[in-house]
Amino acid sequence: MDNQSLSALREIFGERLHTSLEQRICYSYDATGKMFLPEAVAFPVNAEEVRRTILLANEHRFPVIPRGAGSGFSGGSVPVRGGLVLSLERMDRILSIDTENLVAVVEPGVVTETLKEEAKKRGLFYPPDPASLKFCTIGGNIAECSGGMCAVKYGVTRDYVMGLEAVLGTGELVRTGVYTVKGVVGYDLTRLLVGSEGTLGIVTKAVLKLIPFPETAATILAFFRSNHDGSSAAAGIIRERITPCALELMDRTAIDCVRENAGLTVPEEAGCALLIEVDGAKESVAAEADRVEQACRRYGAIEVGRAADDPGRERLWTLRRSISPALRKVNPVKINEDIVVPRSRLPEMMSFLADVASRRNLKIVNFGHAGDGNVHVNLMISGTDEDERRRADEAVYEIFAKTLALGGTISGEHGIGISKAPFLEMEVGPLGVSVMKRLKGCFDPNGILNPGKIFMEEQVAQR
Amino acid sequence: MSREELAALTAACAKCGTCRTVCTLYPERKAEISVARGKVTLVEAAASGLDGDAEALQEALSDCLLCGRCERACPNQVLVEEIIMKGRADLAEELGIPAWKQVVFGKVMPSAAAKNAARRVAAAAQKLFLRKVPAGSGLHYRFPEKFGGEGRTVPALPGTSFSGSLSPGEAVRGEVILFVGCVFDHVFPQVGRAAYETLRLSGKGISVSRDAACCGLPALVSGDRASALRCVEENVRRLSAASPERIVFPCGSCLLMFRRNMLAFLPKDHPFYGHATRVADLCQDYASFLLETGVVSRLPDPPKGEKTGQIGYHDPCHLSGTLGKGREGREVLRRSVGDSFAEMRGADLCCGYGGTFNIRDYPTSSRIGQNKVSVAAEGGTAVIATACSGCILQMRDMAARTDPSLRIVHLAELVFQAISRR
Repeated sequence: MDNQSLSALREIFGERLHTSLEQRICYSYDATGKMFLPEAVAFPVNAEEVRRTILLANEHRFPVIPRGAGSGFSGGSVPVRGGLVLSLERMDRILSIDTENLVAVVEPGVVTETLKEEAKKRGLFYPPDPASLKFCTIGGNIAECSGGMCAVKYGVTRDYVMGLEAVLGTGELVRTGVYTVKGVVGYDLTRLLVGSEGTLGIVTKAVLKLIPFPETAATILAFFRSNHDGSSAAAGIIRERITPCALELMDRTAIDCVRENAGLTVPEEAGCALLIEVDGAKESVAAEADRVEQACRRYGAIEVGRAADDPGRERLWTLRRSISPALRKVNPVKINEDIVVPRSRLPEMMSFLADVASRRNLKIVNFGHAGDGNVHVNLMISGTDEDERRRADEAVYEIFAKTLALGGTISGEHGIGISKAPFLEMEVGPLGVSVMKRLKGCFDPNGILNPGKIFMEEQVAQR
Repeated sequence: MSREELAALTAACAKCGTCRTVCTLYPERKAEISVARGKVTLVEAAASGLDGDAEALQEALSDCLLCGRCERACPNQVLVEEIIMKGRADLAEELGIPAWKQVVFGKVMPSAAAKNAARRVAAAAQKLFLRKVPAGSGLHYRFPEKFGGEGRTVPALPGTSFSGSLSPGEAVRGEVILFVGCVFDHVFPQVGRAAYETLRLSGKGISVSRDAACCGLPALVSGDRASALRCVEENVRRLSAASPERIVFPCGSCLLMFRRNMLAFLPKDHPFYGHATRVADLCQDYASFLLETGVVSRLPDPPKGEKTGQIGYHDPCHLSGTLGKGREGREVLRRSVGDSFAEMRGADLCCGYGGTFNIRDYPTSSRIGQNKVSVAAEGGTAVIATACSGCILQMRDMAARTDPSLRIVHLAELVFQAISRR
């Protein structure tokens, strides 16, 4: 970025533009831990400032990287080509919650939990619940199409975005979608922008769908001897037409991380655990919980616990919540994948993962949203052993190939960013990539927005 | 501190962003540089050679209340406070320590005589130059706006300190030492007195640390390692020589310094390290001591229904948070005032004092503090009891500025009141 660009930006942002090394370091990373320094950081407070910035970027050709809370797992907000980080954390107002039409209108910097809480106060529910919901932002959730635990029943961010206001890579401010339940006027630009990782436009306002808050919920924790029993039970629950609002699986490696301090007793022989939650009206919750328990027993559960009150449910959840923080005990560096397979193929995928780990002598901890067939595969490596790193890279490739062979997808909710860019073509094929690139050209002809993401300069499908 | 040591401490941060949810300062700043993840990354970058302007880095690391919320919320148990304090100390050694801090931390705070002299001078100056503000918690003076006081008030300093009010033979020998702390000795001697009189109910012999140096925390958080070391050496020497059974602290911040911070910064090969570890083990908060020795169960029954639910307990970050002693203070309060106690709205919100933070950015410090006391007052609290000198200084200032009817007291004052009813 040249001095002219910086002084023009200074006119827009005044003291909200920073170029000091200290401020730039603070906007150089996300939860992947990868660091790339931006040349400047700005904090817009309205859509007009965003629009003027993008016009300026087109004139002077500098990259603009939108950023929410920097909690992503694929490098989506990391400025790999330098340029200006546009931090949207100060556009954090909930503009309205319409209790007649069940619609919320928010700015992109609103923290997901804040919206969930405000909706709940009105008896309403904004379901998407990524693990980082306490600090991630709606704008970031939209850019990555975040999922979460309750996706099995309630879907993902995409399913709650009715309309958007966004600044395109051209600097044009576009309004997409509707404020109504239905709407089929023209192409669905809203859906195209959701999950586009800040490469097509910068969301400045979102119109979100809310639903009534479920009356009650019950949580069931079941332990199994093996991954096979556990994942068969997970697939079985779905096959039996039960729709839990969470169906989380933890394999032996995951349970081992927390066996001592899970806050509850884990049976000695437990090699897999399922955490299942059902919600809805009181009568149906009790009946569904019974059916879930029966299903677990039928698939060989060695112990089944159940809680219907908040403290009891929270206690059962401790097991699941303690896993992520405890992973570091296994090894310091985490390679974190989030593959999805059709739910009936989950048992096969779980045995494959165990096989890869033993064959390649790697520590792989698996847990995740079994109800969606979404497995968080965590390859835990030392970070100092070259050979181990190579074996892990090969394992990732092998796991992705198997995922696709089973009819799955290589990323359920983290996005492509930089971490998975080498594998994009492996899933969508050369034509898929080409169509995507043509769309990109349409929205952002000068390649201003978040360059270096999703697409590799040269696709490396094979290694 | 070596680059390797800092690099090892900072490597534990996974950059997840959880600290953003709990940071006291983040809602004020709305920038990553204010939260632990940003600061830890800055130290990590500096340790790896990517350091820019030392003054800018110092500014970034100083902009923190050290409330410790991030450290307690961190899924990877990153030692944020230690990283920030060590970073500050390294930078202070590089950039030098401001002259006024050198005098206060290096000369006044380690010496009981100098503290006494300083209080007398300041007390006289207050009467001459400042305007009186009557407040529920006692007389305050207002700083003139033209001197950049921004509405700040300060408590009226007493002519005599608490330890000065003891008669020559009093509280000299005893198996339990009351470590009063500078503020409760020289600024609010009534707290020192209340703590002393109530500790005596334990039946143990109580001696008062009358020649103690400052705990050293203000110097340490300012990066003044040498002055902090002088305070610690002075105190550890005296306290180990006395070989007490217990050392009791009415102030949570002094206690944090003795129980944790002192050991984090004292080099392992320092000749006093062993003594310091043993002293640290003897240190205990005021409320726990009262519970452990059964003092509270010997208190007279509190009067019923006098001010139902009007007395609240404020959680000092260091005491309730870092040291995990929130339950004990409440327990003592409940047994002292009965149903006048009720859980206060926003009890665990930080008061915004942050020691030297209050001096470097008073407007921000007072916005956080003002919010703290108004949330409490709106919830129906008329008296806030707590157990930390910084919190009391800050909340009294806030109350004097905007809500003089709100009283801020130390827990010990209410316990003392309860026994005086007998």
